[in-house]
Amino acid sequence: MRRLVMLIGIVFVISIGSFYLIHLLPGDPAVVILGTGASPAAKAILFHQLGLDKPVYLQYFAWISNVARGNMGTSFISQSSVAATIRAALPIDLEIIVLSQILAFAAAIPAAMRSARKPDGALDRLLGASSFTLLSVPPFIIIVLLVLLISIKLGIPHTGPSSYVTLASDPIGNLESLSLPAFTLAIGSFVVYYRVLRSDLIATLQEEFITMARSKGLSQRRIMWRHAFRPSSVALLGTASVNIGGLLASGFVVQYLLAIPGLGYTLITAINMSDYLLVQGIVLTVSVGVVVINFIFDFIINIVDPRISRE
Amino acid sequence: MSEKLLIVKDLSTTFATAGGPLPAVDGVSFDLEQNETLGIVGESGSGKTVLSRTIMGLQPRTNVTVTGSATINGFEVVGASEKAKREIWGTEVAMVFQDPMTSLNPVMRIGKQIDEALRVRLGMDRAAAKARAIELLELVGIPSPVERYNAFPGQLSGGMRQRVVIATALACSPKLLMADEPTTGLDVTIQAQILNLLDELKERLKMSVILVTHDLGVVATRTSRIVVMYAGRIVETGNTRDVFYHHRMPYTRALLESSPKVSNLSHTRLTTIPGRPPNLLNLSDGCSFAPRCSYATDQCHLVRPPLQAADEPGHAFACWNPLPTTRGASSS
Amino acid sequence: MSDNRKDEFATDPLVGDMAQGMFLAEEATLVEKPEKTEPLGILFWVCVGWIAVNVLAAVLANVLPLKNPYFEDFNNINVGPGLHHLFGTDDLGRDIFSRVVFGSRVSIAVGVGAMIIGFGIGAPLGMLAAYRRGRFDTFITTIMYVLLAFPAIIATIAVLSFWTPRSLVKIIIVIGLASVPLVYRVIRTATLSVATKDYIIAAKVQGATDGRILVKELLPNIAPIGVSFLLIGIATVITLEGALAFLGLSVNPPTPSWGNMINEARTVLAENPYLVIFPSVALCLFLLCLNFIGDRLRTHFDVTEVKL
Repeated sequence: MRRLVMLIGIVFVISIGSFYLIHLLPGDPAVVILGTGASPAAKAILFHQLGLDKPVYLQYFAWISNVARGNMGTSFISQSSVAATIRAALPIDLEIIVLSQILAFAAAIPAAMRSARKPDGALDRLLGASSFTLLSVPPFIIIVLLVLLISIKLGIPHTGPSSYVTLASDPIGNLESLSLPAFTLAIGSFVVYYRVLRSDLIATLQEEFITMARSKGLSQRRIMWRHAFRPSSVALLGTASVNIGGLLASGFVVQYLLAIPGLGYTLITAINMSDYLLVQGIVLTVSVGVVVINFIFDFIINIVDPRISRE
Repeated sequence: MSEKLLIVKDLSTTFATAGGPLPAVDGVSFDLEQNETLGIVGESGSGKTVLSRTIMGLQPRTNVTVTGSATINGFEVVGASEKAKREIWGTEVAMVFQDPMTSLNPVMRIGKQIDEALRVRLGMDRAAAKARAIELLELVGIPSPVERYNAFPGQLSGGMRQRVVIATALACSPKLLMADEPTTGLDVTIQAQILNLLDELKERLKMSVILVTHDLGVVATRTSRIVVMYAGRIVETGNTRDVFYHHRMPYTRALLESSPKVSNLSHTRLTTIPGRPPNLLNLSDGCSFAPRCSYATDQCHLVRPPLQAADEPGHAFACWNPLPTTRGASSS
Repeated sequence: MSDNRKDEFATDPLVGDMAQGMFLAEEATLVEKPEKTEPLGILFWVCVGWIAVNVLAAVLANVLPLKNPYFEDFNNINVGPGLHHLFGTDDLGRDIFSRVVFGSRVSIAVGVGAMIIGFGIGAPLGMLAAYRRGRFDTFITTIMYVLLAFPAIIATIAVLSFWTPRSLVKIIIVIGLASVPLVYRVIRTATLSVATKDYIIAAKVQGATDGRILVKELLPNIAPIGVSFLLIGIATVITLEGALAFLGLSVNPPTPSWGNMINEARTVLAENPYLVIFPSVALCLFLLCLNFIGDRLRTHFDVTEVKL
């Protein structure tokens, strides 16, 4: 309940921040939005649309009530609805993130389990050193190198820049064109998840209740999965939750390189074209999205570990 | 009753540490009859906890060397593989752990923690295991066991949790129950309840119990025999009565004097044992207790005393300058 | 590599360590545990050396005998690595080696500058809040946690996209401010663990002034955590600047930075892979060394893991 209040408070702060972005700029917002060469008529329309003739708090209420109804205004550059543009782009980001997270968890969990069973063993050392190295390779380098290797050297179709295929037209091609972005994001996530889960598992395996489980005559496999994994997965979920913002940003980078029309590509294009209403809409959507996802993760963590809600 | 349930022979457990080999248990031998309760007593760090785990085979697999022999109902634990030991864990021997706050999995419902043993080890189906688990919760005196079945450990008090630990240990009807300081983490009022419960269960289920404790008061009325440990070795052993009334080893007396008695007047000053337990990494060739012993002679510092038989049957002690026998003086 | 402390005794924890851990806990009074501090190791000093070489080269770039990073030699476009051009030339005939060296200036300036702002604001606030506790602490901490919930990277992109024209100073300010809540959280947590110790209370009882306690008692104790977090923070900020530059939101071309070199290289990826490989390697090596030094210092001073 306290968290819900907090959530509403944060969303409120974000909305004010997004709303004020334009007002924080030096100079006339109309000039900022429309450019210096705008006609007085266009300025008048904008003033009316933004309600700039009213006091600031009324402007905010007018704006937020529109936003709440799904109306984020109409872009002055492309003349299309901001909300519709976002609705078209958002599923691509979600698809990339979901794919990458499936890959990352599928690799990180077994790897951490094996590492934690024999800390300082050969596998653990190898994974430790390579994950530490990968930690220092930013996603924009990973994706460039992957494109260089996979789409240019090996010539795999649909993986290079500007070769995005929509899900509706060709599901397989769509998967191919999103495979490099998903893989890039998966590498970054894997490294973090592996390290967090491994060190937590090692700590959990030293707990007395693991000895107790052992003394019941349970198999090592059962002890790892039933007794060690769940208490250790709390930190993993927390990390995944914190990771969401970074994932979105990494997604932006890979979309930008490959010209995949997700939110990131749309955002950068909008920035370059000074389409400020679209930028504002995307920033608001993404920020609120991240906060809500974090909130959902908090909720899941409470279910996984009953200790937390009692504290 | 002649068949010995547990035979421990010359058992040693040595840890490899950064500071060199650390002999936590050194050449311990004793045995246990069916349906008997044995007390293992010693200060913190005397090796009693390591001993109890070594007997079960629960010691770490690496960085530790175990020599000698421990057979539970004919099964040689020392040298057995983890897989082989799983066959006796739970069914032949089970352990009640020291601290119920840490020995139960905090994110698993207590019922699940009991019936997983039943399902994995005894092959019961879900319904049968649940019924049996509730029965066990009732057996250890947990009120409204059906509701408690779904509780998480954090929702129970310390005493209740220890009852759950006991129920878990009893799940597969072990013949030998190892209770490692089962009451240390509990309130004084709860301690007696748990100990009485163990006593009662032992009689009802025809088990043998090894009660490991630092508190002689705990073992006084509940055990038939006692093993007193110091620095990883047995320094005195015998029937409970003999150890209490005819002890020969100065360390045993020091232990007895340092434990509070109900018969003491209030504000009676408790005796403490002077000095500190020895550093196990750097033991002398002599008696380990010698530096703290007021009777110690040069011989004590140089040569380790072997266990030698006392007058009473089964009573033995390791001391060059034993306390005078009190037999005859006190007619018991 | 990072959790050596935690697993110092761990060998086979499932069947292993708990018994030994329990044992060592029980024996804590008897066994004097040997004082062991993790040695820093050769690799640590190699990393320190590499960072020093990079920083020196960045500072002295104007004095060093380097080719002009802006000189466009249209007779030598996309030349491979060789004696004349160590790393080759880009699609405008500019010398890649000298652009990589000059490019490090942006990364290092942003990394250091942003962390000066982040620590300059976040660290004193964090120490004060943890030392004072009470309403002041609650107030600041609540604000910081709300700010933390706001995804920093998105916020940075948002502000930089509106605040034009972009310049190095603006980028440093934005990233620096965005890092304040993180620095605050780390320093506050670190200070809390020290501030409750007996010797701090003793100093208070003896009538030491708050300022004196903060500077003389608390500061030296949280310095190791601060320094190791500072290094890892610089690495993170440099990564962020790289991503912004890659998206075209950092310093404007033709000023070279590692990130915008990689950005420019993506159009000629097939023709001239060296253009992307050299700045990438330079950036990754720099980050790796920073992370490694930070991590080693952390384990050396036995500090629990801090998350950025």
